[in-house]
Amino acid sequence: MKKMLLLTLITLLALPFGALAQDMPHAGVEIVATYMQSGTYDVGAENIEADFEAATGIELELVASPWAVLNQNHITDLTTGTGEFDVMSGEFWIASVYDKMLPLDELVERDNFGGDYIPTIWQPGPSGYFDGHRIGIPYSADAYGIVYRTDIFEEAGLTADWETWDDYLATMDKLAMHLEGSDVAPSVFAWGAAEQTPSIFLGMYDGYLVDADGNYALEEESALAALQQMVSLLDYNPEGAAGLSIDEANSVFLTGNAATMICWVSFVRAAAQNPDASLVVDNWAVAPFPGPGFPFLSAWNLFISEYSENPEAAWEWVKYYINGEQATQRFVELGVGSPYLSTYEDPDLVDAYSHDFPGMVHNLSRAQSVPWVFEAFEIFFRNTSELVIGSISAEEALANTLASWAEVTVPPALVQSAAAQGQQQDM
Amino acid sequence: MRNKTSAKIFLLKLLHGLILSVACLVVLIPLIYLIINSVKLPREFLTVPPTILPSEVTFQHYQELIDDAKTIRYFRNSLTVSFWTTAITIVSGTLAAYGLARMKLAARLLAGITFIFLFIRFYPRVTTVIPFFLVMRQLDLLDTVWAIIIGHLGITIPFVTWLMLVVFQDLPQEIEEAAIVDGSSVWQRFWRVVLPIVMPSVSAAAILTAFLSWNEFLIASSVARRKASVLSIAVASFVSDKGIQWGPMAAMSVVMILPMIIFALFAQKYLIRGITFGAVKG
Amino acid sequence: MTIKKRATWHKRHDLPWLLVFVLPAFLIVVAVQFYPLAYSALLSVQEWSLTESQAPQGFVGWDNFARELGDSTFQRSVRNSIVITGGAVILEMFLGVCLAYLTMGSSWRMRAVRTLLILPMVIAPVAAGTLWRILLNSRAGLVNHLLGFIGIKGPEWLASPDWAVVAVILLDTWQWTPFVLLVAGAAIASIPEDLLEVAAIDGASRWQVFLYVELPLLMPLLLLTLVFRTLESLLSLDSIYSLTFGGPGFSTYTMTFYIYTQGLRNFNFGAAAASSWMFMVFASICIWLVFWFQRRER
Repeated sequence: MKKMLLLTLITLLALPFGALAQDMPHAGVEIVATYMQSGTYDVGAENIEADFEAATGIELELVASPWAVLNQNHITDLTTGTGEFDVMSGEFWIASVYDKMLPLDELVERDNFGGDYIPTIWQPGPSGYFDGHRIGIPYSADAYGIVYRTDIFEEAGLTADWETWDDYLATMDKLAMHLEGSDVAPSVFAWGAAEQTPSIFLGMYDGYLVDADGNYALEEESALAALQQMVSLLDYNPEGAAGLSIDEANSVFLTGNAATMICWVSFVRAAAQNPDASLVVDNWAVAPFPGPGFPFLSAWNLFISEYSENPEAAWEWVKYYINGEQATQRFVELGVGSPYLSTYEDPDLVDAYSHDFPGMVHNLSRAQSVPWVFEAFEIFFRNTSELVIGSISAEEALANTLASWAEVTVPPALVQSAAAQGQQQDM
Repeated sequence: MRNKTSAKIFLLKLLHGLILSVACLVVLIPLIYLIINSVKLPREFLTVPPTILPSEVTFQHYQELIDDAKTIRYFRNSLTVSFWTTAITIVSGTLAAYGLARMKLAARLLAGITFIFLFIRFYPRVTTVIPFFLVMRQLDLLDTVWAIIIGHLGITIPFVTWLMLVVFQDLPQEIEEAAIVDGSSVWQRFWRVVLPIVMPSVSAAAILTAFLSWNEFLIASSVARRKASVLSIAVASFVSDKGIQWGPMAAMSVVMILPMIIFALFAQKYLIRGITFGAVKG
Repeated sequence: MTIKKRATWHKRHDLPWLLVFVLPAFLIVVAVQFYPLAYSALLSVQEWSLTESQAPQGFVGWDNFARELGDSTFQRSVRNSIVITGGAVILEMFLGVCLAYLTMGSSWRMRAVRTLLILPMVIAPVAAGTLWRILLNSRAGLVNHLLGFIGIKGPEWLASPDWAVVAVILLDTWQWTPFVLLVAGAAIASIPEDLLEVAAIDGASRWQVFLYVELPLLMPLLLLTLVFRTLESLLSLDSIYSLTFGGPGFSTYTMTFYIYTQGLRNFNFGAAAASSWMFMVFASICIWLVFWFQRRER
């Protein structure tokens, strides 16, 4: 009898644990996830860390590092097979270690993941792919855009509906006449943040980025024209624009000293509507990013390391962090650009962002990521920067870039990315 | 004649005062501006002309730091790293220098040893960061303050050994000879006779070591992840792809610099004692 | 035992003790640093670019060295380093020694000034770089604003290829003149005063005393400081990283920045190792020069 009682007691006690184990198959498992320390993506993760741990029983450790350190940590970890991180934040900059990432096709299919993404973002390129397999899930999306002053445009009788950079420059000419004598410049851009200049070039350039043999290359004629056009933009910028950092260019626009600004919209969106920081509240909107090129896309992905001992638990975190609801919340609270269409169709937001969403969605749907490893990217932006400060000519910038590129190998993952986005020369 | 001289002296004094004032201003203005920045509202950062006196003093940046539990951890880690790096460096570096100086080695051999030390000191760390990471992984020290400390020791011990070697070599032999005659051991001679004399140099070396260790970024950032993260990494982390968060960065810089400034003010006394001592010795 | 015998007896029995003294430092430095150094020596003769392969791609002999020497970016970064370090170190030595003389004495005022003047070297280079980036901002920067007060239109510090170099030199000088001041101050104070008095009685002018009495005495330490600062300045990365990031264009792309980019951003390990060893050849020459000078002095 006593034995029976004890047994019943044990069974009763064990029951809730059993039930718990069924709901929480990964309870007690420890995983480590990385983010860039930026006060946005990382804070978004910290905000939901406790809820995630409560819901799944997984012990999550978040590691946030500055950009340069983050990539260095990932590459060191993966090439040495250390396996310290289960979930990693990254973009195409770490394409050289894409082969060390876990293919996610099966998990995506099993859990029917990926519903209402902006289509371009869910494609290879913006989404990390290796050898035809998905390895990355995008959780942010930001495209280069142009913000403009609706009040000034109305006053000058102009519209911001340019399709090409020629149209944009023609508008700048008219603006320049309209604004003559005032201290408002027709255009501003962070020329001093050298790594940003490729964004303009890519918008003006109409050609391939990788040649048929899979090497970095440019169509010389079109590239030269784009470089020259890029420099001609400087004429419409305020004095000393060649030195402007991102913060400074933003402040030029926010203090009302520029009629248009070429920029990452997510970097100004919140400040521009904050009366404490901006003189242009309600007087600005997002305009289309002109062609024939594409708007540069920044889309952070979560990857799962091949060395992760708990890929299923890691995947739980990926799903918990990346979904339409979270993306919208991060957009509202932290200004992180959302890769989900649902954010831009959210009835609560559409009105408040009527100046912002239409242009943004337009730009995002045309945006592409570049197939450049950091080395190729740096070669390019250093040379364009030399061009911007007037140290070398466009011809020299192009020749130097191509010469240096000859030494750089394109990782297979990025050749595939270029091919998938139509950036490779036809065979 | 006398008037002329006193006028000349007066002018020289004036010039002297002027130069020093300018030097002090050049040092102070950036530091004061940093403190001003740390209590500025975000919108006053990139104004044209610059905002020298903020319209409103805000402690929001400091509040954010205090609210973040990680700040305390960074601070504690920085303190631990600097303390142990300095302690180990000074003890082993001074002993090694004394040992080398008194071994009566052939000049060439001594030069060779010093050379190896200096070579290690000046080798670009950027290149050894990844193999160092592997060694630390092998020793299971990744993400611990000890990985950072060992990394720093590779820079500081060679430097201090070199510095002290020069000091010991310049020390007149007679000072020790009396002690040798008394029959005291090497350790006694070192501890009772030599060390008190060279103490000023030792403190100078300690101060320099502590500064280096507190401020070092590259080694720390490559072996520390989360538990062992230090202040220098924290300061760098306000530079993101979105530009720079000037306010929090200024506040964190002040948090990082202040202990070192206090330390410098305190340590300065020892330096001065050393300097005056040196003068008396002569 | 005679005194002399006793002394030699001691010398012999001292040796084990002295070895024990040297051991800890030797172990820590050589043991921990040996592997990384040996590894990088090995890499310098290997082809290894992480974007191409995740393991070294084989022995290539001196190819890495030859390729680096022929690389236009490498050549440019070496030139930049020479200009920046040369300019900064000359300024630092000059200002440091001058200020050391001007702040001699133990009055409270001089002590206060000295304390104040060494503060910049206390600041983390990462923080100092960003601080000066705000100060040198051409539009919203304090420096150009203050220059405006005395009627000078400040240059585009960080957007002009030449001024950016000046900016980096200024930062290095601001931060490290205090180091020279510290060392030179200590050295000057340790010059025996009777030496100076004798010279003064002989009728030597202050300048002659400095030139013929003090300078030769200070020389060994100043030379050490010079070499130390030169190598340190060549190796400095944090401040350039946060002040100019090597820009605009390649204007302040220094050798260390180049090695950093090759090694930790582009992961061209072979190239980074080869560049580092070439730097070490230069560093070794500097160190040997000091040794040679010291030996000649003795």
